[in-house]
Order: sequence, then structure tokens, then C-alpha cells
Amino acid sequence: MNRRDLLTYMGAAGAAGFLAKSLGSVAHAAVPAGPPKRLIMVMAQGGWDTTWALDPKLQSARCDVPLLGARRLFGNLDVYDHVSRPNVTSFFTKHADKSAIVRGISVSSVSHNECVKRMATGTRSERNPDMGAIVATDHGNDLPLPYLILGDTAFAGEYAVSAGRVGATNQIVGLLDSPTTTGEDAILSHYANATVNRVKATRGAMGYNKRRLADFATAIERGKKLVPVRAGFGAAGRTLTLANQVDLAVDAIAGGISQAVMVNTRLSWDTHDTIDDQAGFHETTFGALTTLVDELSARPGRTAGTKMIDDTVVVCFSEFARTPKLNANNGKDHWPVTSAVVIGGGIRGGRAYGATNDGLEAETVNFTTGARSAAGMTLMSNHFVAGVLTACGIDPLAHLGPTEVFHAFVA
Amino acid sequence: MLAPFLLLTLVACDQGPGPGPGPDDDDDDDVPSPTAVYLTPAQHLTRASIAIRGVRPAIEDLEAVDADPGALPAIVDRYLTSPEFAATIRELHNETLLLRLEQPTFTYPAVGPLATATARQVNSIFEEPLRLIEDVVMTDKPYTTIVTADYTMANKAVADVWGLTPVASYDTWQRRQYAPERRGSGVLGLDVFYNRYRSAGFNYHRGRANTISRAFLCHDFLESDIVIDTTIDLADPDVVANAVIANKSCAGCHQTLDPLASYLFTWRNTLAPVAVDTYPVTYFTPATSERWRTANKRPPMFFGAQATGMNGLGRVIAEDPRFARCTAQRFASYLTEVPLGDLSPAWVAKLQKDLVDSGWSAKALVKSIVLSDRFRISHDTDEARADTLVAALKVRPEQMGRMIKDLTGFDWTVTSTRALRGIPYGTAHVLDSDFLGYRVLFGGVDSYFVTDPVHTMNATSSLVGKKFAALAAEYVVAHDRTAPLAERTLFTEAAVTATDPTVIRAQLALLHSRIYGELVAPDSPEVDETLALYDEAFAASNDRARAWTLTLIGMLSDFRSLFY
Repeated sequence: MNRRDLLTYMGAAGAAGFLAKSLGSVAHAAVPAGPPKRLIMVMAQGGWDTTWALDPKLQSARCDVPLLGARRLFGNLDVYDHVSRPNVTSFFTKHADKSAIVRGISVSSVSHNECVKRMATGTRSERNPDMGAIVATDHGNDLPLPYLILGDTAFAGEYAVSAGRVGATNQIVGLLDSPTTTGEDAILSHYANATVNRVKATRGAMGYNKRRLADFATAIERGKKLVPVRAGFGAAGRTLTLANQVDLAVDAIAGGISQAVMVNTRLSWDTHDTIDDQAGFHETTFGALTTLVDELSARPGRTAGTKMIDDTVVVCFSEFARTPKLNANNGKDHWPVTSAVVIGGGIRGGRAYGATNDGLEAETVNFTTGARSAAGMTLMSNHFVAGVLTACGIDPLAHLGPTEVFHAFVA
Repeated sequence: MLAPFLLLTLVACDQGPGPGPGPDDDDDDDVPSPTAVYLTPAQHLTRASIAIRGVRPAIEDLEAVDADPGALPAIVDRYLTSPEFAATIRELHNETLLLRLEQPTFTYPAVGPLATATARQVNSIFEEPLRLIEDVVMTDKPYTTIVTADYTMANKAVADVWGLTPVASYDTWQRRQYAPERRGSGVLGLDVFYNRYRSAGFNYHRGRANTISRAFLCHDFLESDIVIDTTIDLADPDVVANAVIANKSCAGCHQTLDPLASYLFTWRNTLAPVAVDTYPVTYFTPATSERWRTANKRPPMFFGAQATGMNGLGRVIAEDPRFARCTAQRFASYLTEVPLGDLSPAWVAKLQKDLVDSGWSAKALVKSIVLSDRFRISHDTDEARADTLVAALKVRPEQMGRMIKDLTGFDWTVTSTRALRGIPYGTAHVLDSDFLGYRVLFGGVDSYFVTDPVHTMNATSSLVGKKFAALAAEYVVAHDRTAPLAERTLFTEAAVTATDPTVIRAQLALLHSRIYGELVAPDSPEVDETLALYDEAFAASNDRARAWTLTLIGMLSDFRSLFY
């Protein structure tokens, strides 16, 4: 996707307005993208409370924080933890050095759906591809299933042909016993290609029709490539628990099936009246992240002497956060400023970037250093997405248009 | 048997640039692209047939429009009375209302009168609004009735769960009525609507109000950016209640959203399935209708207009011009696969007028859409216009299921005892199931996590299409191989075991017309290509049945089958 496509999908007026708001008066700047990376997105959908781990605050008139816990440093990375949440502590004890926390990401909305797409795509249209779809298409388009969607919500946009789901009970496995022989497949391909060529010469010569025709042909070839990697999907009937998603994600990346994977914590983060549930959700999520990063750190990478974590970026995010203050039901409502954690190769880990004040409002930051700066800008979701894309070796401007890139956490 | 003169009619090529003679010639308010190229009458019929019914046109209908394009409107009228159109109406509205759930957290227990029900049968309660809308459309009531009806539609599950007069079967839908105080509001008065869209309680039904506004008015409050005033003490309900009235950063939306939400205090916030141990359950609680007085403190009002009760709400929605416009947009978007916001405003305005002028006939609206010039565009010769012109429409999962069954007689179902929230799943069409089937993997919605259909192919949809094609091909070849000629489904020009090349070509020409909607001659280039497929398949297998099976797999999974 390019600038023209962005305008097409968003509507010129909407895109212009959005970009103008995002950019303010600051000119966009190209940031050199690094080497190609794989991407695993872990979405904590529903809205996490950043005061429970990623953005430590003091109890005050402006902010209610968990009773059990305190700010703790893991190297230079400060996290809010407590002995009752051992998985959070364990994760940062083991992996703080390769983890960057990004704070103060503004999403300008408190609607779940709106914010999910803004944090996933960096845009306001569900018809634009999310980070996973972009990374998969740019770096892994020759793979059988470039973008594997294990979680629930994802945005493939124009790259839908590169994306695929496995089904609620791993039904994909039932499709991978081919009803035809290899020889028969060749005959069928010959016939399908004849149709493609004829349609291409007439109604499929250009534009939307041409893209659908190309998708049709590409999908057939991708389907064939999936059959030999059937074992990578595990057993039929497997439900998509978070643990199963993590296993599948690592296997799919390691097995050369996919370039990017979307995982969803499948936890009820939307704690309007039960804020204490955040404790268990953080435990489950950081337990899974520990397993994920442990696996990526243990398995061999693409080149000798490296590990998978060296060429994989993991980004764990929630569409928004929760209000600093408790409501009357001992819960917290939606808050349009959130935090995320980015882990892996090419990430300047071991510290936090961006900032919020004691009322969880976003502070302006310097986009090169990530430090609080009165002369800086408010970090918006599109800036953050652009930074993650840069970390993955993607030129974000080619996909998001002329946006500023928050690249402070990119090595 | 195809008429000989029609066999000579080649329709694979398009007619050429310019609108040419067409059903919508007198419409000069909305002129599509001057460089648009239009479908032939037979191709137009095929597109209309699939959009309206999800099945391919009969050969007789293809022949009729090929001989006289003016025959199309009458054929469309017939389509609009078919049970397949009724299914389309349900599917169209499900893409808006997102009701067809197979989620454990929404699956009520199989207890009491539902003790022996399967999960599919229990979850059929979510069909109630869709069945009501279907009844309104198919019995030619004004479309406004969907928000003003004084009755509902119920099967055994709906009747038992909500305490309506019993219905004997899960497969039978009959008219029923709720208590008098909630009649006259159509789908707005149905418990299941609020069961699907639960309220977080402290949010005072605002999410539900926005769902109503988004679905029926195409006005989504959540599309606006917000700036939260952090000085507001969110822990104090009175402060919050005052802020959404007096604070400028809040009032912009809340001054219309909250009064709309105030109508909905007659429904409980939520009723988790785990809390249900008997039926009927009570969701409608008139005693709490005035709770807005202590909650959001906004009397019920519809965008500033006074209207009393749920039937009053239904009436003012029906009278709002946005309802007519939104209806035109949703129908046009569904039938053309053009995103709602990308539809031509002039076309939408014309459709809106057609709808209202017809006495709110949804059938007239659909007819106006499918007979329009915009609907019958094949492609555009201008590159910039072609870039955004949606003129290759992909069949949806439900359409694919009906299409293959209609063509081959094969119904791809799954029956399983695997538990969905502890209840045996039951039987479903594979392309109408998310828990065990392939609806989402073929590009459909699961109404919860996946809420937008995918109108292109990917690896999984290609695999689903191929598997379905293979199962259907094996089924129909096996059936027709032994069936008497009069009982065959597809092989009416040649027996499966036929060896005469002339007969095989005639059979292939028939398959082209039936499967692709192409009226082609047995010696046409199109048949040459398919004959090559058949010949190669036979050479590889030395088995006529396998050769036909492979030929049908190729045809049923071809671009011309999956796109229209």
C-alpha cells in the first residue's frame, strides 16, 4: 500500500485530516529500516490497565494504582510488580534486556473497535492492513500462509490473500488432506490458469478486478504449499487457548509457514467493575510472553549462531488503557492513552520510551530519544505503528503515508 | 436440451463500452463511468441471480434474457419471491446486526424444555430478529415494519427461552407476540437483541443505543474522536452524569446518545448463560423503565424528538430520513460488495427515493439495485476508475453452499457431538458454521470476532472451495452415473460413461451454461478449454467417472464459479 492507496481507502478528506492531526506542523522524516524481521503480535484486546505493570504510578488524587505492588527497576526498565504476580516479575527478570516499553500512546478514542484498528493498522480504516499483514506481505509473500491469524481480530485489507485463519477448533487441518493427486493438481492448475489469462485479457485487465484475479491465482498456489506443512498446525480440534496460540505461532514461524502471526490473549480485559481481574490477566499474558520469548530465544535463527529472537519482533499491545481513577463500581473505564511492549531483535531493550504524567495523560516526547520533551510531539498510534514497522525492516511511509516515525526504540 | 440457435450465441465477451440498451436507461440522475463496459444480458442475469438468491440462473432463464434482455425484470420479480431470497435477506441483515454467534459465552444451557437440544438448536434464538425481518420483506409489508412490528417470529428455542406461546419444532418459525407494552417496535423490542449486545451496567445502555443508531441510521457515535477532560472525577456518578450534559468535550455526543439509551432501561444489563438454570428467562423488566431518572438522568428522546416507549422509538426511527438512506446503503453495499462509504451518493439518493416511493418495499429496492447500470458493470477501461470499481464479486460462504447444492445436489453438512459450552454441537452446513465448519475460512463473518466479510480469495478459502468442489463432484458423478436420465442432476446430455466426443462436447456446453452462466456452443473455444481438461483427466486416470469428477472440480472451483 502506498500513499495513494491510503487516500483511496480512507477517503481523501479523512486521510488528510487524520494525517494533519497526527503530524501537526512537523514534517515527516524517513528513518532507515533495518533488516527484514518476522513479527508476532499479541493483542490484549479489551483494554489493559497500564498501572498494573507497564506504566508505574504512585497512588494520588489523580490516579488509583493496585494496592499490592511497587515500582521496580529491571536494569533501567521500571515496571510495577508484586510478589503476587510472579509471571510479570519473571518475564522482566529474564527478558527486560530485549524489551522496550512504549508509554503514552494516544489513540484519540475510547471505542474498542476504533482503537483496535488504530493500534493495529496505524490508520482509521479497517480496510487498511495491520502491522502483521504488512510485514507478511513485504517480507514473506512467498510463504504458504504469510500472515497467520490465530487471534480473533485482525485487519488484512488489500493483503487478504496473504492472510489466513485456522478456525476456532483448528479446522484448517481438515483442508490439508488434498482430494486430488499432484498430477491432477497440475491438470487443474492448467485449467485455472487458462481462465485467469482469458479474464486478464478482458474484464480483469486492470484495477480491482485484476487484483481479485491475481488473488485467485495466488491463493491456489498458497493452498498447495500448505498441504506439505500440515503437521505444523497440530491436531484437528485443538482450540485456540493463548498457550496453544503461542505454540502454533512459534511453530509457524520456525517452520517457514508464516512471516507474521496475530495472537490474542482472549482475556476479558474490559474491567469496568472488577479491576482486580487485571492481576490474573497480567499473569496469564506475561506467562505466555515468557514462554514465547523463551522459545524464540532457544530455537535457531535464520543464520548460523543466531536465535529466532534475533530476527523476530514481538509486540504486545492493548487498544487503549483504563482510566486512572476507579469508578463507583471499583472498576475502570476506557482511557485513550495506552502503553505497549516491544521485544526482540533490533529493539533497544532495557528501558522505557515515551511518557505519561501522574494522571496518565500523554506527555510530548522526542521521537529520536523517546524522552519527555516540551519541544517534542504527542505520540500517536500511527507513530507507534510506524516505529514497529521500521523495527521489522519495513519502510512505514510506503504503507502509512507521510507520518512521523517513533523510532526511538529501534536499534 | 439447449436450443440450437442459442448454442451459436457466444456470450463470453462483453458488449463493449458505453451503457448501451439496458434496464435502467431512463435513469439520468446517476450516470456511472463513461468508460464502463457492461455485462451481457446473460451475465447480468447471473450476477442478479447470485446476488438475490445465491444460486446460478436456470438455463431457461439464461436463454430468455439472451433472446430478449427485456425479460430480465420479470425474472428478477420471480427471484424475489423465492425461499433463497428469504435466506439472502437474513444473511444481509446478519452482516449488519451480527447475530449468528457460536461463542460459548453466548450459548445458553440445554436445560428444561431445551434439555435435549443441540448447541445449534439453542443458538437458533439469535435468528429471531433475522426471521422477523425476513417475514416483513417476504410478506410485502413496508420495510419500516422491522422497527414497528407488533409481533415476532419464533421457533421452539425462541418460544421456550423467552416464554412465548410454544412452537413445536426448531425448524418451524411462526408468528408470536410479546406482552403488549413492548409491541410495536419490531426488532427493537426483542430480548435476544439485547442479549447479543450486553450492557456493562455502568455504561447505562450507551453501547446498545449506538448499536441501534449504527445499524438503522448508519450513524456511529464511535467514529468521532474524543478528548477526555481529566479533571472529571470518574468515581463520582453524579459528577460523570453532570459532565456528559454540561462539559463541552462530552456533551457533543452524549446529548443525543444518552437520551436514546434511556429507552433501553427496560432490559436487564446482561444475563450470563451460567446464571440460567431454567426457562423462560426474564430479560424484559418494565419495572426498571424509569431507572434513567437515577442513572443518566436524561429522559428518553430520539435526537431531540419526543417519542414515548419502545413503539414510539420504532416509529420515529422509521420516520427519520436517515433510516431510508441507511437501508438503501446497506442493501446496495451487500448486493454489490462495495463498502458502505464508497457507494455513489447520487445512486444512494435515487435508491432511497425508489424505496420510499414504492411504499417501503424492500423487494422494489433490491430490484432497483440489480437492474441499475451500476450493478451491471463488467469493468472499466479507464485505469483510475478501474482501480476502485468493484466488478468482480466473490460468492459469500452461504451463497457457495446454496450454489453447489443447487448445481449438484450435494449438501455439505457436519454433525458432531463435540461440546460447545457443554452441549453437543448438532448439525450445521459446513459453510454456515464457525465452531466446526469453514464459514470464516471461506471469508465469512462469525458475528463476534470477524465482523467484516472478505471479498477475495486466500489460501484457506481456496482450499475450502476445492474441497467443496471435490466432494460435490464426486457426489453428483456417482449419483448421475446410476440414475435414470430423467433423475440426473447434471449429466443430461451425456452419460458419465459416454465416449462419443460430440456428446461429451454437448455435455460440456451444458455445464458451461449451468455452472458459469455461459451460453456457449459445443465447438466454442470455451468448451475447447474444458474439453482439454476432461481429456487430460481421462488420459491420467483412464476412468470416465474420474475424468468427469476432475472436470467438475476444475469448473466448480474456477474463477467463473467463485466470482460473478
